Amino acid sequence: MRVGIVGIGHGKFGNRSDATVQELAFEPFKQAIEDCKNLRRKDIDALVVGSVPEYHMQRSLPGVVAEYVGMNPKSTWLTEAACASGSAAIRTAYMAIKSGMHDIVAVIGVQKMRELSTEEILALMGRVGDVQWESIFGTTFPGYYALYANRHMHQFGTTKEQIAQVAVKNHYYGAMNPNAFFQKEVTIERVLNSDDVAYPLKVFDCCANADGAACIIMTNEDLAKKYTDTPIWFEGLGSASAQMSVLRRPNLVEIPSAVEAAKQAYKQANVKPSDIQVAEVHDCFTIAEIMAYEDIGLCPKGKGGKFIEEKQSYIGGKTPVNVDGGLKAKGHPVGATGVSMTTEIVKQLRGDAGKRQVSGAEIGLMHNVGGIGQYTFVHILRR
Amino acid sequence: MPFKYFGKINFTPYTKVDKFADYLQKGKLMGTQCKKCGEKYFPPRADCIKCLNDTFEWLEYSGKGTLHSYTKIYAAPKGFEDIAPYTLGVVDLEEGGRLISWIKDIPDNEIKIGMPVKVVPRIFEETEEIKLYYTIGKP
Amino acid sequence: MELEGKSAIVTGGSMGIGATIAVALAREGANVAINYRKHDTEAKAVAKKIEKLGRKCLVIKADVTSYNDADAMFKQVKKEFGGLDILVCNAGINIDRVIWKMSEKDWDNVINVNLKGYFIYNKLAAAHFKEQRSGKIVNITSINGLRGKFGQCNYSASKGGIIALTKALAKEVGKFNVNVNAVAPGMVMTEMAKNIPSEFLQKAVDETVLGRIATTGEIANVVVFLCSEKARHITGEVIKVDGGQYI
Repeated sequence: MRVGIVGIGHGKFGNRSDATVQELAFEPFKQAIEDCKNLRRKDIDALVVGSVPEYHMQRSLPGVVAEYVGMNPKSTWLTEAACASGSAAIRTAYMAIKSGMHDIVAVIGVQKMRELSTEEILALMGRVGDVQWESIFGTTFPGYYALYANRHMHQFGTTKEQIAQVAVKNHYYGAMNPNAFFQKEVTIERVLNSDDVAYPLKVFDCCANADGAACIIMTNEDLAKKYTDTPIWFEGLGSASAQMSVLRRPNLVEIPSAVEAAKQAYKQANVKPSDIQVAEVHDCFTIAEIMAYEDIGLCPKGKGGKFIEEKQSYIGGKTPVNVDGGLKAKGHPVGATGVSMTTEIVKQLRGDAGKRQVSGAEIGLMHNVGGIGQYTFVHILRR
Repeated sequence: MPFKYFGKINFTPYTKVDKFADYLQKGKLMGTQCKKCGEKYFPPRADCIKCLNDTFEWLEYSGKGTLHSYTKIYAAPKGFEDIAPYTLGVVDLEEGGRLISWIKDIPDNEIKIGMPVKVVPRIFEETEEIKLYYTIGKP
Repeated sequence: MELEGKSAIVTGGSMGIGATIAVALAREGANVAINYRKHDTEAKAVAKKIEKLGRKCLVIKADVTSYNDADAMFKQVKKEFGGLDILVCNAGINIDRVIWKMSEKDWDNVINVNLKGYFIYNKLAAAHFKEQRSGKIVNITSINGLRGKFGQCNYSASKGGIIALTKALAKEVGKFNVNVNAVAPGMVMTEMAKNIPSEFLQKAVDETVLGRIATTGEIANVVVFLCSEKARHITGEVIKVDGGQYI
């Protein structure tokens, strides 16, 4: 019995100082219900919230979100896996439905990042490695990815221009996405000349901290057709962990949890990387997207720079990637990202992506990484 | 010497391997070795990940190694703004294991991945509080 | 033997308390370097005593108010002894006057030899000791640094300054396993003291509760103790060795 997505919703990502976290969560929840046909809120029997609690003043997020969207007294809980909380929540919802425990589950990924100052966020996110042996020297989240970038450039000859091209591509598509934080294109010169953050990464290599929420409603195969004419099915779900500390990873040029999670997803879905027609990958930094191409098998190891240089990840290329702007243009409200990626794949597979449509897309992939690679979730969806 | 004296800002004041700080203050870089299966660890750990044994002994490391990667942090987190920008290096230690720390006394243009380096235990000299750390330099 | 294998510098080690300290350190196993400004004969006599004990002794001409002389002395000691573990600052002078008769030169000379000289040697020793994560510094002060003495505005100021220097330095180098302490003698029976008029000596004896004044050996004993591992948890301390002359 398959599990499918019957409704999606996506709020505006950005500086949402106009709303509390539960008010943010309401927007895509309402959209997702209206996106279904004949679905009433009381038909939903559980709400899973994907979010990272440390950024909020409000404790116990599922409690406040469930109350605000009117889901009481239905079951609700938090699933957290750093920046992969959204897809971790989706995985939990899948388990609930597949086991028969719940029939219709709503997943809301929501995050307010901007209740803290930039230095506080840098410090908090910097503690996403091993605080005992690393954070004591002032590591930062961009710093970790910069370590990956320098090693990748050294080992494979990846160039700064190839890396910067990721930002150019994602802002090009972000400009067409009304929900994205940033809706202006950028030139490669702008990216290469932006201020230093952690050598070699500059401001334009880094995704922005953003507030935002997204929602999907999932159900089993028997009920799906009742609520939509275009259910999108989960074909393969992969999930893996890797060492928290870069000091204990086998190398710094791949994310082992991503490689493993992708393998699992391909196996379950019985497809190969070349079958994927549209993908959403975790571009928290430009280099992360290049490593993602390699980790999920869209190109051989070390050839990620070439892949984007040849425009293979643009629409018209081998595998369009992040054609909704990615984390780079949308911003990265950490708990919401995984759900946001899923809504984009659903749109693409339904044929609803307008100017950003990958024509004829039937199989899509979502790759969502937590922290500096300690968790990855890969989901393959099919029309 | 409490473990909380280790690092510019310490986040883990209590640990099973707190003797590391004692050794560091005496100028020694120490890792651990599992008493049962002999597996070596740097950074040190009390519990063996291979055989789940929880007894260990201390092992001295020379500090010699190769530079695996590096970056220069410009946007610093809270508590590190006063030393920004600073260069972080990841070192593969000769005897196995890895560490991350500040690169000192190697000019930016001489830093190359793969170069031989030496990790040296240090104590912050200009603060009244005791703060222990180590830095990466030329061998 | 508490100081086996250690190397020491004793300033003003050619005569008086300094000479006794130098020999006492050698008796405990240390190689000792002493400086002299004028008294080379006396210095060589100390060296002979030390060599008789089977230890090495370096006799170096150095004016304690000269940083360059001090720097050269440290370099030579480190080279010839292979290292340095102990510094005892002892060189001192006094020029007693009531203040309205005390010239600027009277003030400057005493401060320079007694306080600045200690600063120079403490600085050089601290720099070396912090790198090797071990070391002992003992600064000889005086009970007249703890109390005021008539006619010794300059001397008391310098000896009081030594106490404050000792305490401040102890705070800076403690984390490097370096101990810095001071010993404050009262009246001591040295060759020079034999020239003091007997009424003044008797006055000093009357001030003590033990009814006697110290030998140089009794001062040296405490210095040796402070340089040993037995005293490793003592730092920033001032130990009076005055027979109760000033309580």
